[in-house]
Amino acid sequence: MIPFFAGLATIVVAGLAAAVFRRRPTLADRAFRGLIVLGAVAAAWPAVRVLAGGAAVEVRLRAAVPGGDWVFGIDPLAAFFLIAILLVGAASACYGAAYLAPEAGHRPVAVVHLLTALEVASLALLVAARSVIPFLMAWELMAILAYFLVVFESERDEVRRAGLIYLVSTHTGTLALIAMFAFWGQLGGTLTFDALAAAAPAGIGAALIFTLALFGFGFKAGLVPLHFWLPGAHAAAPTHVSALMSGVLIKMGIYGLLRVAQLAGAPPAWWGWLVLCLGLASGVLGVLWALTQHDLKRLLAYHSVENIGIILIGLGIGALGAHFDAPVLAAIGFGGAVLHTLNHALFKSLLFLGAGAVQRATGTRVIDRLGGLARRMPLTWTAFLIGSVAIVGLPPLNGFVSEWLIYQGLLRSAHLAPIRAALFAAAGLALIGALALACFAKVGGAVFLGQARTAPARDGREAGAGLLIPMFVLAAACVAIGGAPVLAVGPALRVGAMIGGVGAAGAAAAVGPALGRISLLALLLATLAGGLWWWRTRVLARRTRGVAETWACGYARPNPRMQYTAASFAAPLAAAYGQVAGVEVVRQPASFHTRPRELVLDHLAIPFWSRVRGWAVRLHPIQHGRLWAYILYLLGTLLLLLLYLALQTGGARP
Amino acid sequence: MTQIVELLLLLVTLTNFVVLGTTRLSTCIRAVAVQGVLLGLLPLALYPGGSLHTWGLAAGTILVKGVVLPRFLRWAIREAAVRREVEPRLGYVASLLLGVAAVAAAFAISRQLPVLEQAREMLVPVALATVIIGLLVLTTRSKALVQVVGYIMLENGVYLFGLIHVERVPFLVEVGVLLDVFVAVFIMGIVVFHISREFDSLDTTRLTELTD
Amino acid sequence: MTWTALLALAVVVGMAPLIPGIAAKTKARLAGRRGAPVLQLYRDLARLWGKGVVYSRVTTWVFRMGPVVAVATAALAACLLPLDGRRALITFSGDFVAFASLLALGRFALVLAAWDTGSSFEGMGASREVTVASFAEPALFLAFVALVLATDSLSLGGALGGPLVQAWPAATPALAMVTASLFLVLLAEGARVPVDDPATHLELTMIHEVMVLDHSGPDLAMILLGHALKMTLFAALLIGAILPRASLAPLPAIGVLVAGLIVVAVAVGVVESVMARLRLTHVPQFLTAASALAALGVILLLVA
Repeated sequence: MIPFFAGLATIVVAGLAAAVFRRRPTLADRAFRGLIVLGAVAAAWPAVRVLAGGAAVEVRLRAAVPGGDWVFGIDPLAAFFLIAILLVGAASACYGAAYLAPEAGHRPVAVVHLLTALEVASLALLVAARSVIPFLMAWELMAILAYFLVVFESERDEVRRAGLIYLVSTHTGTLALIAMFAFWGQLGGTLTFDALAAAAPAGIGAALIFTLALFGFGFKAGLVPLHFWLPGAHAAAPTHVSALMSGVLIKMGIYGLLRVAQLAGAPPAWWGWLVLCLGLASGVLGVLWALTQHDLKRLLAYHSVENIGIILIGLGIGALGAHFDAPVLAAIGFGGAVLHTLNHALFKSLLFLGAGAVQRATGTRVIDRLGGLARRMPLTWTAFLIGSVAIVGLPPLNGFVSEWLIYQGLLRSAHLAPIRAALFAAAGLALIGALALACFAKVGGAVFLGQARTAPARDGREAGAGLLIPMFVLAAACVAIGGAPVLAVGPALRVGAMIGGVGAAGAAAAVGPALGRISLLALLLATLAGGLWWWRTRVLARRTRGVAETWACGYARPNPRMQYTAASFAAPLAAAYGQVAGVEVVRQPASFHTRPRELVLDHLAIPFWSRVRGWAVRLHPIQHGRLWAYILYLLGTLLLLLLYLALQTGGARP
Repeated sequence: MTQIVELLLLLVTLTNFVVLGTTRLSTCIRAVAVQGVLLGLLPLALYPGGSLHTWGLAAGTILVKGVVLPRFLRWAIREAAVRREVEPRLGYVASLLLGVAAVAAAFAISRQLPVLEQAREMLVPVALATVIIGLLVLTTRSKALVQVVGYIMLENGVYLFGLIHVERVPFLVEVGVLLDVFVAVFIMGIVVFHISREFDSLDTTRLTELTD
Repeated sequence: MTWTALLALAVVVGMAPLIPGIAAKTKARLAGRRGAPVLQLYRDLARLWGKGVVYSRVTTWVFRMGPVVAVATAALAACLLPLDGRRALITFSGDFVAFASLLALGRFALVLAAWDTGSSFEGMGASREVTVASFAEPALFLAFVALVLATDSLSLGGALGGPLVQAWPAATPALAMVTASLFLVLLAEGARVPVDDPATHLELTMIHEVMVLDHSGPDLAMILLGHALKMTLFAALLIGAILPRASLAPLPAIGVLVAGLIVVAVAVGVVESVMARLRLTHVPQFLTAASALAALGVILLLVA
């Protein structure tokens, strides 16, 4: 554990260095980047060792506050998430240093770097926490720091609004978590995770714990219908913070659910089904709402909702497998969820970083004002394309591997009689994949291909090395996992088996032989495509090669504004889904555009919030400002507590 | 015999889906005509003994449901000059998906009902599914004639339930034919009052205006 | 026995251009015309391969890469099917997913190539193509799920091989509906009537044709070959589901496959002659009906 804490300390020092040396930008940048990477590597080292087969490590600290010892440890589940956190965190932080550099004059950039470093450290502490109080403290720290990072551009109305919605949502979720831990801790005695596991709740207790966990952690994860804070917050934050939030922050909700599933034992069957159905709904609705967005970052944020849905599908299958004592299904389901978490962290942050590069180069995030950037920003386009192919789940990249693993879980439910109806979820997952393909064809095509639609897009310049290197590190990880899935699937299955409380051997035997074939498939694809490309180039060298305007069946003078727009691309799908797609069509005599609306926010969350505020206003008379009355309140509460204690101990005395 | 029964019931389910998914009225009517013929053949397949009762039921059903009612409906189409369904309250894709959900639910529920005997494994679920899909068509379509088709499907589903006990209920034939006459009256009402759009209300007190 | 699998692959890839030709010839004969020769697509491919190429100023390497990826993915997907009746060249648990994902990769490449031209017609075609695909994929996966349930095998080699032979007698109605659903998916993925008319000249009514308007020469040859190969693969999938050939020796099995492909091509031609092309807003309905058929098959297999 020493390297772990040393690494975290180094990360914090990196943030402090960025703040302290802010008058000397080159030194601050180099110190920040170097120390962050160093700290990340150091802290990841124990995690890699644990995943490679080492034993879990742990350290106990006696605490001055009640609530049991403070235990920190890295077991395989924590190790897997830790690698995601540190890799994405380091990449985002380094990217952020280059991204925010132009704004150093008029914004508190150094403070943002400090806060980013602290955020990464708190995330790492969160997954390493093995008792309740440190967990909740790290959770709250992570949420508050994220709020300050989100409202970086606080002079804009929509940023402040998004920050407020985020803050209320995260605290509502935390409230549920506190209730859950309080109840559970009372069952277990002390508040360490070991004690919670030993409590083995059952019946109503288990139902309560699992429901509160789903609500609290689901709010953080962005599960439909608790996702409404996500698009606003991720679009408003600076890009590297969005990458960190989409890639890692919302995964902490998933981490929480997996940890609860591991500690509380086999979940009830109804919970598994609920998670599966909510996962399907999140997946389909998330990608549908993403299709109709005009803002690049909001679109990517809705995609995070979709991928959380896919992760929850795997989680649901794992929970059902654990409940019905099917070790293979439990390991594959949970393992698929864990693997997709890592993969999504990688490719989603890659996509956000690419979107940030586009925003830096052109000054706009609106998809329909961009276009033709592939010629001016070829490296950014390559990285973005790798991220797109990965997120759609196409071979030979890592998205395919984790979706394949989740499909394995769904298809294998055919062997387990009570849950065979879960097979229909395979069709749902196929729908999600096809819609994701449509969405990223839209994004990639409208932003990077064709011709630039407006002047800012025409003048875009390639991003600097500071922005490109983190992107390519993440892209390389995507390609590595896609080409050699055995690197990641084995550890994921072991983690999945650990969560389900089963042995990993069955799952590894069932799924293992396929991994080599998947690598073979990736290799063959690259070879075949490469070979055909080479042959074609040789053939074309001997033929005439002409250059002309785009033919398009005889348009004499095509114009960049005549290109298909992204909104039109998505229109048939939005029309096919009707009201659910949440698109408002605005028709005026000389203009026509679509406006996507956040349905859950407008129809559920805000009315509910207004009603709560109405009730709260009725309590207003208590706050009248008279000091003597406040002191009277204190006295009254003290008397009530004394009375309660007296009755409690009075009852215990014989 | 069981295989023929299963095949017939499967075809009945498919005709339900045809009605759910098509926009053309003539296809709807053809589908319920086919459904009527299949329903007429079912007693012969279920009870191969061939008593007079079974033969009478089969012949009566095929005649009324397969020939007479569809002709009435086609005559009504001509008189009221309607061609296609327009703006149903529930889209076609959603109707098809709800139809699949209805079939799945029917199979799931039928497991719990204490009425199953062997070779009736598909009869009760298909009957339940037909009833639900008939109700779906009846409530979500806006053209009166399609609502009538939905009513006929609902009634077919009830008839399927009745087939479980056809040997023991002697009045089934008369009751069935009576219901079909009721439907014929419906259609005549449409034609006579030239209602080509939806009924304003399904208030049956209005039908008292037909007497007198 | 890998050589029989390789032979079957070569036969299928070689036969692929024949399938659209037979369909077109059937349609012509039913309309009272003589129609183009059945081998016309081979001649077209040879002619196109020998031509030069014209590229738009606006396009990048994405446009040039699109046809290559389309053919490569279709060929690789063919390796996943047990074409000789017994085994596929590459088999692993869950290779259904790889089959569908490879074809999706080909589609993604072509859609990006369409965006790359910066033309509104190609963009329109790309938009319609992904819409149709998003409704066809669930139907395809429901058919796969039904095959998994019927044969208890998680790979295409198993689901279309020996276990399917034993599954057919017990589960005939369900498997019949699954094959009907697979035929409808074939019509959608192969861009045939009633989803898309391959013989239309009006760009505003096209889906697949208009997406590949700007390709020329060898690129266009690769696209035509890839499309014919994709349609042949779906036909081979359909034949594999209807006529599991595991009990035959490999060479007769390949012969049966060839005969089956010709029959499917004729059936497609007949359907094209009988049906009119659907309005584009009705295509989701059509494909949902395919999904409903496959779902019914799955329900029947679940309760059996």
